[in-house]
Amino acid sequence: MKEMARYGLILAFICVVAAGLLATVNTLTGPKIIAAAQSEEQAALKEVMPLAVKFTAVKPPAAEEILYYKAFDAQGKLIGFVFKASGKGYSSVIETLAGIFPDGKISAIKVISLNETPGLGMRVTEDKFTAQFNRQSSLDLSGVQAITGATISSRAVMNSVMKKAHEIKELIKNDPFDFAQGHAERTEGKSKHDK
Amino acid sequence: MKNLIKEFTKGIIKENPTFVLALGLCPTLAVSVSVANAIGMGIAATFVLLGSSLIISLVRDFIPDKIRIPCYIVIIATFVTITELCMKAYSPALDRSLGIYVPLIVVNCIVLGRAEAFACKNNLARSFFDGLGMGVGFTLALILISAIREFLGSGQILGHTLVKGFEPIFVFGMPSGALLVIGLLLGLFNVLKGKKI
Repeated sequence: MKEMARYGLILAFICVVAAGLLATVNTLTGPKIIAAAQSEEQAALKEVMPLAVKFTAVKPPAAEEILYYKAFDAQGKLIGFVFKASGKGYSSVIETLAGIFPDGKISAIKVISLNETPGLGMRVTEDKFTAQFNRQSSLDLSGVQAITGATISSRAVMNSVMKKAHEIKELIKNDPFDFAQGHAERTEGKSKHDK
Repeated sequence: MKNLIKEFTKGIIKENPTFVLALGLCPTLAVSVSVANAIGMGIAATFVLLGSSLIISLVRDFIPDKIRIPCYIVIIATFVTITELCMKAYSPALDRSLGIYVPLIVVNCIVLGRAEAFACKNNLARSFFDGLGMGVGFTLALILISAIREFLGSGQILGHTLVKGFEPIFVFGMPSGALLVIGLLLGLFNVLKGKKI
């Protein structure tokens, strides 16, 4: 019995030291991890909407999920939208970030998360495929050529972007502040309010 | 001093964790798709090995035999979590490409294997060199496997195309290709060892 209590104490002591160490490291790295995630997000957004300098997230009130981002240029003018689309590929869910101009044309897309077959489905991340989306209408991507041997993965990207673009179009329509007038100050004020 | 050097070098060839001890093959199969991944994983595993070997060797007289495994696991898990947090903070891209395999270093048999087989019986300096040697051996093995796989599977090494017009063999980018490469290298190591003896 006495032995058992001693074992318990020793294990508890090791755990307390480990917990203290982890708490310290967590406090030190926590802000850096958040900053890294944010700068990564900003960099990805900028990649699909290179002309924009500022992005604001649009969220439904009292929800965590981001519907889409509004992109503003240096003068604070609304120049487009960025959204994340996801669709089922061959062996994973493929997530794509797409930037669209107010007229619905695509600025650029970037596949941000996938786990497809190396050498086949994985090639949807290559410029040769994604560059085809530039300047296409986000509502109709039938002009995009799928990658040979990776039709399912290619289609997943195309269809998910198209589907989400239709959804976003509806959302923007229902929100007279945001889109019809494209009024930078007011939209910004509103998105702040949303948070 | 000569002994210490021996403790270090044995992990690289004579007792290479991957090719001779055949430990920790699961992460080896998974991350050896590209050389960049292999280097990242190797450094992370080496850090964990070093840290846990040092601490376990330091407290080996303090830990009763009966509860040594849970104690080792707590120590190893702590080092793995520290590694993971640092990687997330300073190298998010690497963290994303290694994914789940960083937290899984906890159950990598090399780490617990060295703790159980070496660090709990040897002094600080010897455990340090043993951990370092095993870590370096694991890293080199990963780099060797991934270099072969990346070259054959995608025609590139570290993202650079080496031979123009080389048609990649897809199977080497997949787990089945990893098994093939590791199997052949294991065989090669055995042949080389047989010659020495």
